[in-house]
Amino acid sequence: MTDYRIGVDIGGTFTDIVFLDDGGRVLTKKISSSVDNYAQAIVDGVTEVFADTGMGGEQILEVLHGTTVASNAILELKGARVGLIASKGFRDILEIRNLRMPKLYDLRWQKPAPLIERYLRLVVDERIDAGGNVQRPLERHDAERAVDRLTAEGVEAIAVCLINSYANPAHERLIAEVIAERAPDLPFCISYDVLPEIKEYERTSTTVVNTYVMPVVSKYLKTLRAGLDDRKIEAPLLLMQSNGGLTTGEEAGQKPVNIVESGPAAGVVGAHAVATRSGYRDVISFDMGGTTAKASLIENGAFTRTSEHSVGGGIMIGSRLLTGGGYLLKVPAIDLAEVGAGGGSIVWIDSGGSMQIGPESAGAYPGPLCYDLGGTEPTVTDASIILGYLNPEYLVGGELSLNAGRSRQVFADKIAQPLGLDLEYAAYGARQIAIANMIRAIKAISSERGRDPRGNTLFAFGGNGALFAAGMAHELGMKRIVVPPSAGLFSAFGLLYADVEHHYSRTIQRLLGAADPARLNEVWDELEETARRQLAADGFPPERMQFRRAADMHYKGQIYELTVAVPGGVLDQASLAALEEAFGEEHEHTYGHRAGADEPVELVNAQVVGQGIPEQARMPERLALERSRGAAPPPARDAYFGPEKGWLETPVVARPDLETQHHGPCIVEEYDTTCLVPPGATASLDGRGNIIVELG
Amino acid sequence: MTKIDDLISFEMFKNAIFSIADEMAVTICRTTYSGILRDNMDFATAIANAEGRLVAQGLTLPFHLGSMHTAIAAVMARYGDDIGAGDVFILNDPFAGGMHLPDIFIIKPVFADGQRIAFVLTTAHHGDVGGRVPGSNAADSTEIYQEGLRLPPLKLIEGGARNETLWTVIETNVRLPVRLFGDLRAQLAACEVAEKQFLEQVARYGTDTVKVYMAEVMDYAERLARAAVSELPDGEFSFEDWIDDDGVEFGKPIRLFVTVRKEGDRMSFDWTGSAKQVKGAINSTLSVTQAASYTALRSILPGTIPNNDGVFRVIDVTAPPGTITNVVLPGACAARALTGFRMLDCAFGALARMSPELVGAAGDGGNVGVSIGGYDKDRKPFIYVDFACGTWGGRPWADGLEGNTNLFINMASQSIEVTESEHPIEILAYELAGDRCGAGKYRGGAPFYRDYRLGEKDAVLQVRADRQVVRPYGLYGGKPGKPGSSHFNPETEDRKLPSKVTMDFHEGEVMRYVIAGGGGWGDALERDADLVLNDARNEIISVEAARLDYGVVIDAGTWAVDGAATDKLRDDMRTARGGAEAPFVSRED
Repeated sequence: MTDYRIGVDIGGTFTDIVFLDDGGRVLTKKISSSVDNYAQAIVDGVTEVFADTGMGGEQILEVLHGTTVASNAILELKGARVGLIASKGFRDILEIRNLRMPKLYDLRWQKPAPLIERYLRLVVDERIDAGGNVQRPLERHDAERAVDRLTAEGVEAIAVCLINSYANPAHERLIAEVIAERAPDLPFCISYDVLPEIKEYERTSTTVVNTYVMPVVSKYLKTLRAGLDDRKIEAPLLLMQSNGGLTTGEEAGQKPVNIVESGPAAGVVGAHAVATRSGYRDVISFDMGGTTAKASLIENGAFTRTSEHSVGGGIMIGSRLLTGGGYLLKVPAIDLAEVGAGGGSIVWIDSGGSMQIGPESAGAYPGPLCYDLGGTEPTVTDASIILGYLNPEYLVGGELSLNAGRSRQVFADKIAQPLGLDLEYAAYGARQIAIANMIRAIKAISSERGRDPRGNTLFAFGGNGALFAAGMAHELGMKRIVVPPSAGLFSAFGLLYADVEHHYSRTIQRLLGAADPARLNEVWDELEETARRQLAADGFPPERMQFRRAADMHYKGQIYELTVAVPGGVLDQASLAALEEAFGEEHEHTYGHRAGADEPVELVNAQVVGQGIPEQARMPERLALERSRGAAPPPARDAYFGPEKGWLETPVVARPDLETQHHGPCIVEEYDTTCLVPPGATASLDGRGNIIVELG
Repeated sequence: MTKIDDLISFEMFKNAIFSIADEMAVTICRTTYSGILRDNMDFATAIANAEGRLVAQGLTLPFHLGSMHTAIAAVMARYGDDIGAGDVFILNDPFAGGMHLPDIFIIKPVFADGQRIAFVLTTAHHGDVGGRVPGSNAADSTEIYQEGLRLPPLKLIEGGARNETLWTVIETNVRLPVRLFGDLRAQLAACEVAEKQFLEQVARYGTDTVKVYMAEVMDYAERLARAAVSELPDGEFSFEDWIDDDGVEFGKPIRLFVTVRKEGDRMSFDWTGSAKQVKGAINSTLSVTQAASYTALRSILPGTIPNNDGVFRVIDVTAPPGTITNVVLPGACAARALTGFRMLDCAFGALARMSPELVGAAGDGGNVGVSIGGYDKDRKPFIYVDFACGTWGGRPWADGLEGNTNLFINMASQSIEVTESEHPIEILAYELAGDRCGAGKYRGGAPFYRDYRLGEKDAVLQVRADRQVVRPYGLYGGKPGKPGSSHFNPETEDRKLPSKVTMDFHEGEVMRYVIAGGGGWGDALERDADLVLNDARNEIISVEAARLDYGVVIDAGTWAVDGAATDKLRDDMRTARGGAEAPFVSRED
């Protein structure tokens, strides 16, 4: 009997389910996300596939899941009623945040509402100093008073974050003890367990978000587990974390703060796996859907992570500078830059007479003009129709029919005529401007980090990724594009490539030159031991565990840190000197300059990543390509390639046709995406079913 | 305007040029050594054309909006034709292109095809540039010569070679040269990044086209700004406000006065009528007065207008020399930020008169600056500089924000734990204070207070605060916010300190400051009773204040509004007013 692994990715409008059998055959299922009950949508989708194929629950080996349940709870403010216990004098750390606002000159700015109202934020009289010494001890009765008052208010969970607790968790532990004693069934989190790192706002926010979503995520995971059990699927349920590693359902229930960017991470993990298997080690992943485009850097075969991110607060260009929107989470996440540009983004003219794209989106409903569902504003997708890039009759293999005439009519009235441009030139312009906007996302993860995008391969997926990839690559001076199979539901696919991974960190602020190697070894060993225990609980024997160490460092006095790999094993003076040199090199690489040798380097955080290595390779070397669905499109249509090249007759082909190399212009139409190969480029298939576009 | 043949290429260029300015900012932000630079975002980046007109400014401080073209103009005035490839200029002199001494400008001309085609430049607030007080920020200096190292436009690098003499002079005159050089390095790196990327644009479009595009980017902004300004009501609108004092002559309020004139697609901000230049160091340069005026206007225009010379063309700023709004030698100006914030408040007051729905009541009046500096047991210097602000006035559509940066800047607070781990200072409290926000239909934001305790034997403490006498104004019937205050050892002797002070500070001593509460907007009796209840439950106001200021009767046992009692009380309060019309501005209860 054939065994299957399942990847399930919940998106805003669709839930994608991918089944992969041990022979590399892929089965996909796209269902509408039932917003009230995501877990039910998944179970229903799987049940339908079982009914269609005769598959049974016992054939499922693993269920891998990327979910928006945690991020939605935050975005919709539907988490638990939580109480917070803080240090006296610091009741409002959560609300004051770090003062910064994400937009300049914005008199209308509203701060995101604090996840815990002020009357549920209590303080206890205690003080620990920066060295971890107790200055004013916490009296037990004070902690009891605070806990009793919160339980009397009917809170559903308690978060605890005290000043300087990263240096000494004794008082937080005492409060934990009191909660466990006086409210034994109440979920709670202390900040030292969630994030034992310096910076009180970051730690408080992360702890509160974790506590806030914990009851929601736990309930969801329980419902999903029950639904799977009901279908006789006894396979383990693993969740994608924002950091790109999988974790168990139990651990995700305890640290839901780690699964907030679950879905976007899965796409990058897939991109990383598919690209590195094909021999591409320096890659920019480009995921473009209906409303947003996301980019991430894969460098020397490894993806890049950021140590903090925000949920909510909108999407903005330049967000790396103007922080302050949304809810801050200081947990490692795959470093994604996002801009509000997608197929549904609206094209408009501002009062200075300049064409603008987005960030407003027509969404899935009413959608672009061509959907003919009542949309009144031209979108990027309408521009693609006018240019002849998209099939003017229908999309998704005929399931969605289009009205190209409407795209042309309204685009001409609202954009081309007011600007005095020909229709096709205006549409071409809209595309170029959308590309210029999206380039800012790529620059944010490449050139703004001192990385030149030109040497990288562009890995394109999402519903619109392959349509825009060539234009993006051209502007950035990139030479090669890879479009994987099932590009339109690639995030679900990416789940199948991930491994179990746990990240731990702790603040160990001290000058590298003055650090005692013995003490550093102790800290890293402790972190590694924590990771080891978790992996053992996940069921990995010692020989299938792998650990990586890293350190966050900066020049003394700097505020941002850079992360540098730390060798495993015992550190000594020589390895610390090597670490200092590695930091200097990284600083130079990233920022183009480094300080003199006499400037002290400071260690800030120690990190350990523990990885569980699966018994056998999770993915077959090759995938069997799915046959294209739906009616075959006409063999060619006219497409417009800018004022110099004009309209060209452009062949329309299917992916398998690229077994023989094709020269651009040509269009590859598929069920879930369309790939544009411009004039001068070539397209072919590699041995793994990826489309490889080489730009001339 | 020269014809732009290729609208789309132009759009791509526009995107690229602002992206470069932002990338410069990222470079500075990520490599800076000083908390004030990164967290207060107290720096700016820009690209100007060959004539020094601002083409693009990065996403940094509004405060620096007027400064960039002023700095380049000073370089051009001094060096004329002697500006060559490989030169990098430095300056900080407020009387020759600068704003105040801690803001050091780094300016690099960019050449292509043998001609100057642009300038790339940055300015950044440095932690210390020497002078009589650590941090170089004292409010009570009385001449520029006390304030630190003064650099007119000079070549820091000439034809690619470092001017070692100048580097040595700088190194010798500042308290923490390693930190200053670290930040200078970041500024230089930002200019190099920008030059490289700018030249890529030149390679792509050609020198002549890039020149045309730069001109058009400015013209484009001008068109947007004119279109938006045209929609505002025409007329003349004045407003006045007072700064408590200059930190030297206490008890002597300083008048700010602005007249905004609007006709068609033009606007002017005329500061004639503002006080004469003062002894203390809060005099403003013309560039800061321009920035306050530009920012007031920008804040009521659509957010998508680029920041450049095109916007400046729409607005005239007049400030008579020798006044607090346009300092002349030898006036001190290190703490001119205070006046900048207050000029913005004053300009907003004039705009509120223009139309009620445009802007809100006054906030905390800008940040409180604290610097604590001295020498530790090993005679090693330490300097802690912190600025914090956080309260907005009520707005015609919503309450004033609390715990949010002033609009004139975009600062982030420094982490308490990082501060305590790096400096001999403890922060004992940082939280909101109750019953200090101005009542209104939309109330002012609640202010916060902060307590600092020194952990080293002794140090010099310097505080620059204001709005401790002249309260944040309320508008259209809203009440003013409560004044701010500073306290010495608040939990024991609680001695009140002047708003601006430089004093000795000893181990174990505590300084507290409370910022001013935001002013309210609109009649408090019209405030939704449930919002009043929320505020009371959250201890932003007391149950007593709910009754007295808002006419809302709350049962604190059940946290419910007594509807009938509230209606009656509000009716009685309205009757007691006797139908008097709500004042446009309120400064006292």
